Amino acid sequence: MQTQTTTGDYIVEMVGITKRFPGIIANEDVTIRIRKGEIYALLGENGAGKSTLMSMLFGMYEPDEGEIFIRGKKEKITSPSYAASLNIGMVHQHFKLVSNYTIAQNIILGAEPTKKLLGFIPIVDEAKANREIAEISRQYGLEVDPTAVIEDVNVSTRQRVEILKMLYRNAEILIFDEPTAVLTPQEIDSLLGIIRALRDGGKTIILITHKLEEIRQVADRCAILRRGKLIDVRDVPGMDAREMAALMVGHEVQLTAEKSAAKFGDPVLEVSHLVVENEEHFQTVRDVSFTVHAGEIFSIAGVSGNGQTEIADAVAGRLKAKSGTIRLHGQDITNMSIRQRTLAGISYIPEDRQQVGLILDFTLRDNLGLKDYHKEPFQKSGMLNQPVFEENSEKLIDGYDIRSANRGSTMVRSMSGGNQQKAIIGREIEQDASLCIFVQPTRGLDIGAIENIHRQIIAERDKGKAVLLISLELDEVTELSDTIAVIYSGAFGRIAPAEDYTTSMLGEYMMGVAKDNAKNGGGNE
Amino acid sequence: MNSTMINNIIIDGMTFALPLFIMAIGGIFSEKSGITNLALEGLQGMGAFIGALAATLAAAAGVPDDSTRILAFLFAALGGGIYACLHAVLCIKFKANQVISGVVINILAMALTSFLTKAINRTVFGAASDKFILAVSKRITIPGISRIPVLGAFFTNVYPFEFLIIVVAFLAWFVLYKTTFGLRLRACGDNPGAVDAAGGDVAKLRFAGVVVSGALSGIAGMCFAYSILAKFSGDIYMGYGYLSIAGYIFGNWSLLPTLAACLIFGFARSGGYELVKALGMPSAYSDLVMILPYVLTLFLLIFLSKKNQAPKALGEIYDKSKR
Repeated sequence: MQTQTTTGDYIVEMVGITKRFPGIIANEDVTIRIRKGEIYALLGENGAGKSTLMSMLFGMYEPDEGEIFIRGKKEKITSPSYAASLNIGMVHQHFKLVSNYTIAQNIILGAEPTKKLLGFIPIVDEAKANREIAEISRQYGLEVDPTAVIEDVNVSTRQRVEILKMLYRNAEILIFDEPTAVLTPQEIDSLLGIIRALRDGGKTIILITHKLEEIRQVADRCAILRRGKLIDVRDVPGMDAREMAALMVGHEVQLTAEKSAAKFGDPVLEVSHLVVENEEHFQTVRDVSFTVHAGEIFSIAGVSGNGQTEIADAVAGRLKAKSGTIRLHGQDITNMSIRQRTLAGISYIPEDRQQVGLILDFTLRDNLGLKDYHKEPFQKSGMLNQPVFEENSEKLIDGYDIRSANRGSTMVRSMSGGNQQKAIIGREIEQDASLCIFVQPTRGLDIGAIENIHRQIIAERDKGKAVLLISLELDEVTELSDTIAVIYSGAFGRIAPAEDYTTSMLGEYMMGVAKDNAKNGGGNE
Repeated sequence: MNSTMINNIIIDGMTFALPLFIMAIGGIFSEKSGITNLALEGLQGMGAFIGALAATLAAAAGVPDDSTRILAFLFAALGGGIYACLHAVLCIKFKANQVISGVVINILAMALTSFLTKAINRTVFGAASDKFILAVSKRITIPGISRIPVLGAFFTNVYPFEFLIIVVAFLAWFVLYKTTFGLRLRACGDNPGAVDAAGGDVAKLRFAGVVVSGALSGIAGMCFAYSILAKFSGDIYMGYGYLSIAGYIFGNWSLLPTLAACLIFGFARSGGYELVKALGMPSAYSDLVMILPYVLTLFLLIFLSKKNQAPKALGEIYDKSKR
């Protein structure tokens, strides 16, 4: 590792940084040096210590050991506002925006321009704010309407607001924390364009990500972290994705899931003219029809909030269908209870694993029995049979490699997200249902866990199960699916075999730009 | 229905509605900052107690009535504001459940003020009494405009505090919507993380919001003590605090609709009284009328509350270390 003294070439230097949290070392002797005006990527799996490292630069934590130099000067960054005074800004993964405020109000919050009313009463000068913001947004190609209210604008605009917030405060060093996780392919392209424009405007960019493709597209240099340690710093041009992935994970990885050709069997799930309304009588799902066969992975792709989760919930029985029918093996299940559907052969991996999939303050053992507790031999005349729960839990823990501190007796809350998901997947797959619904099965998980879950989904298909997959990750959809339906605004824009789509086509359907009548009688208007 | 009746409805209705409104404004300050405030009832009681105590002491010391009243309102605001610090400390510093804290504040206020009233009466004034009798407040009739039919009633027999409330309401609007403080305060009720990231101090802002609610509730309590009761006693805890909470909930946490809700409550109450009088019913029925605002609350609740949107982060404990 380099140990040279600091020079004037670098705008940010973090030297020998170590940060410990109870039980783990988040960063261990990490040294990075970032040049002014470059795009510097931090690559690593979840838990590799990227965010912790940047949190120290942003003043949210202080390092236990090591020193930080900004523009060659040693700094002790004790708070985000101190970081801001050093012209360091961060676009957080979870936007920090006030939903009922205008874009301008959000941007000026905390750094409000004021004017004096009657010469002595200070008031917020919103007109000036609107002017200044319009100007900055023009300068960097970040068009927004300063007077629009946050809850009315889409995710990518919200992200622009976060970027504008930093620029408004004259940030020179901009940290982006997983900025593309919530965007469509077109929006990602546009964001990467903005990032380049910012660099060309003289800003220094630090990009935290686990997506190799983005790094290859924009980054100048890339630091790879694994388990809190700096593995390597590379110039990005000339590196290939496979090499990066191997450095990141520590071993060779399969970037694409291997799967054999699909062998479709009989129709398992038949949905016709399904309509779902929300509490405000707004149609979240509009006249959707599709069929999932045995041995088929049927995916619904789309931007978050376009009705895909509602379809899954309607099939699983968590939402009532307003009209239309849902059939499982030809049997009408439209008005069945969740329990009846489960028994009829539906297993369900919900989007929100902590709220819907698990009871966090129950033990792993009890959570693994949640779908079976009412059956014999799990219960007998209303009394739970603990040894059976124990046996079931031991079997699943070993079978699905669920790691926890005290095996079945662990409180689920204390387990990592990946292991919580493994628990749900194990429990649901063991139902041996003919239809498996996976909603966002890999959200927030790292590459190793994702790989594992993808293998399981394909294995289920190969066993002849019907799989309904709902995912916001386009890579996941394109890798796993046999058939893809693209949903926009509650209706299917297209249903077609996966190989009929290109990524940009998917993006266009997702944004509702392209549209044709989905087969099976969908979107007829 | 004759014109005296209408006039009475308006005069009494305003007398009741405006204190409700100022208390509701206090509640809005607290809840827009993200702190649930069920403590209004206790805050107004404590404010009224401190104000009435100050007035009684001042009157005993020979201070003229007008100055006494000003003192009473000052101390009521001070008392309510200081007592509100308890709620603020519990909710912000100790991250207590805000609903429970509010209820505790109310119960404590009732017990404490009743105990202290008796104790002070015994030790200071040497009398066994559970109330502080207040001098009758003067009322103002503005010459000229008060003669206009119906409308004139709004300018007839007006308590001085009603003008104070209107001034405070304007100030409150200005502070909430025009100043840096207001912008940040309201942001805390929606996304405190945003304020924190922007360099604002969420704890301080919320503390300020709660203290303002205490001060304004104290003023409201003092209004009730002067107008409806003409004394301070346990009767101050009639549920007006809860009614004003209903007021700002129906008002969707914004000022003008909240004023409208408070006016509805006020006129329902005074209208009911006049009705009992006009029908020549025995006065026992007036007790029944007192529940009118609450019945109305129930009805409004059914029709209005679904559309209303509480501040997003209301009741949420803000913990900086959780990201």
